Formats: sequence, C-alpha cells, structure tokens
Amino acid sequence: MHVVIINGSPRVQKNSNTDKIIQSFGKGLQAAGATFELYSLSNRQEWDAAREAFIGHDQIIFALPLFVECVPGIMLEFLESLPTERKSPAQLSFILHGGFDEGHQFRLGERFLQSLPEQFGCTYGGCLIQGGSFLIRFRDDEKMKKVMDQKMDAYIQMGQSFVSNGHFMTEEARKFIGYEKNPRIVHLLFRLFIKRLVRKNFERFAQQWGCTRPLDDKPYLI
Amino acid sequence: MDMTIILNTLEEGAVPGQISTLINDDVEVINTSDMKIAHCTGCNLCWLKTPGICAIKDDYEGILKKLVGAENLWLVSDTRFGFVDWRGKKVMDRIVPMLNMYVEFRDGLERHELRYHPLNFGLLYKGQADQEFLEEWSRRVASNMAGKSLGVYNIKEGELCM
Repeated sequence: MHVVIINGSPRVQKNSNTDKIIQSFGKGLQAAGATFELYSLSNRQEWDAAREAFIGHDQIIFALPLFVECVPGIMLEFLESLPTERKSPAQLSFILHGGFDEGHQFRLGERFLQSLPEQFGCTYGGCLIQGGSFLIRFRDDEKMKKVMDQKMDAYIQMGQSFVSNGHFMTEEARKFIGYEKNPRIVHLLFRLFIKRLVRKNFERFAQQWGCTRPLDDKPYLI
Repeated sequence: MDMTIILNTLEEGAVPGQISTLINDDVEVINTSDMKIAHCTGCNLCWLKTPGICAIKDDYEGILKKLVGAENLWLVSDTRFGFVDWRGKKVMDRIVPMLNMYVEFRDGLERHELRYHPLNFGLLYKGQADQEFLEEWSRRVASNMAGKSLGVYNIKEGELCM
C-alpha cells in the first residue's frame, strides 16, 4: 500500500501537531510494510505537487485540525483547486484532531468530511478522530512527556491498523476518540481541581514563550 | 452597545441589495474582498504570547477591534461543498483572539473563556448548500462565543429566503 498524506493544517510544519500525528501514523504504516508521501498545505510551494499526488494515487488521507467547528479555511481553499472528477478510482480518508477531547466537538467536522469523497469521485475510507492535541506541541515538557508519548504510540498503532484493514471504518478507529461528552464526575473534578492545574500549565507555557501580559488580557477594550 | 457587524466575504464585493437596506447607525458592513486578510496560521501567539493580539499584521486587526464593540456578527458568504467557501471560513478562523486560552465547561461542553463578551452569530449564504448543516454550524460557532445563533438565510437574487 502507498498512501498520499496531505497535512491540511495552516501551521508551519515544524510546529504542526498534525505533522507530529502524521509522523507517528506514518511509522505505523511503514512498520506494516506500507509507504507514504507527505505534503503540507502550510507551504504554498507544495500545493501543485499535492494536487498531482491527489490526482495520481488511489489511497489518500487528509490529516487536519478542527478549526472553528469545521475544516481550516486554507484546506477549503486547496480543495477548491482540486478537480471534482477523476479518471481512476481512489479512497479518501481523514485524520481529524483538535484541542478539546470530547467526541461531540468533532461530529460536525466529521460530517463535512464524510460528504467530501463523493464530491471528488472518491470512496470514503472513514475518519480517525482524537482530541487533546494541544499538548503535543509541549510534548517535551517533563510533566507532559509520558502522556504525549502514549498518545503518539496510539497513532503508530492506528497506522498499522490502517494497512491491515485498508480504511478507518473499524470499531478500533471508532473508539479512538474516547468519551463523546465528559461524564458529570469530570465536570465536578474540573471545577474542584483540574481547572486550577490547567490554568497553571497554560501560564507556565506562556511564561516560556516570553508572555508578559495576563492570559485574559483585553487589549482592545474601549 | 447594540452594534451589528456584517462581514461580507463575497468575491464580487458588492453587498446584495436586500442587505444594504438593513444598514443604519447600528449596523456596519465590512467588505473583505478588497482587504488584505491571511489565513489563521494556528500559531497560538494570541493565546500564549500576546494575549488578544494576532501575530498577523493585516486588515483583520481593524475587524477585531470592531467586534470588541459589537453584539451581533453576520457573515455573508458564498458556498462550496455544501458549506461556506474558503473566503467565508477564513474570516471566521481569525476570530480566535476574541477568546482566551483558559477553558471552562459552558452548556455542558468544553469551551474557551470569552476574552470580552458574548457575540451572537448569523449567516447569509449564496448558492446551493446544506441548510441544516449550516444551521448546526452557526449554532456551534455562536456557542463558542457564548452567544445565540441569529439564523441562517439563503440570498437569492438579492432577496433573503428562509
């Protein structure tokens, strides 16, 4: 199997969480004997090659972060530049991720992605979804490392699983997201403990980035 | 504060006739077709380095400043693939500085805290699209801003249709 992976994130590749996910997923593909080629839409110079790869191959995966409840604008722009008919059949699959970890948050984006393959003369290979991606960027932070390593290992496994199943329409992929909505106990724990911890972590990251203002600053308040 | 901002992202620039009749002192239409607005790059600087200020220095900063003084936001957009097209989505992707990094549960869902105040959101779209899908999108966008959806209307030959 040879897979064309297109990174639909607008974030520059070296900081792209989507790229980290793709790299782990790609390791899984390779471990199972498949190969892949990668294009990143954040780099406009790769658009022509990405379009050619989309036209010429039969196994295509778009990997993307959820942006304002759907696909990032930059990916919509790229999609508009693709031919809507094709000479040879292809399967179009998706890896969708985002900061929040509830399945519910991704369902509208997933529904949009489901509707896409048909509009490009492709078949749908399913959508692998997982949230909690925000911390991928901070995976080298000592407090985050263990959890993030586990997360990346899970993507390696899904790469292998994609090769053996040929798509994401499996129970394993469906369960990848975890909770649809957080259980009530999490709401309670969040109010009591987690919220303060999360805020402290954000403030620590901000400090590392040289932030000198409060995170809830209101610079444009009249 | 009762200001309404209409972001018109139609490529041809001109505001459809029926919409221009809505304009008064409390309604401002911004045509984005001749403005310099880049895609959000998801850099996170507006949440973690310069809270509330976008790292991209282009014409969107003026829009943000106006949104801070507004209560309602309408997006006027063409459609593609059953959804708003990239021109319409682009100006919504850039709205991130209106929220801050902190998270909370709002209406039972994980949400970012508002940097300023709630913003209602509505959509006026051109062309063939999935009305029900756009309504759900509009509800979700509004909910992110802790506002309510003002509705989703199709623009046909300058007239607004339900």
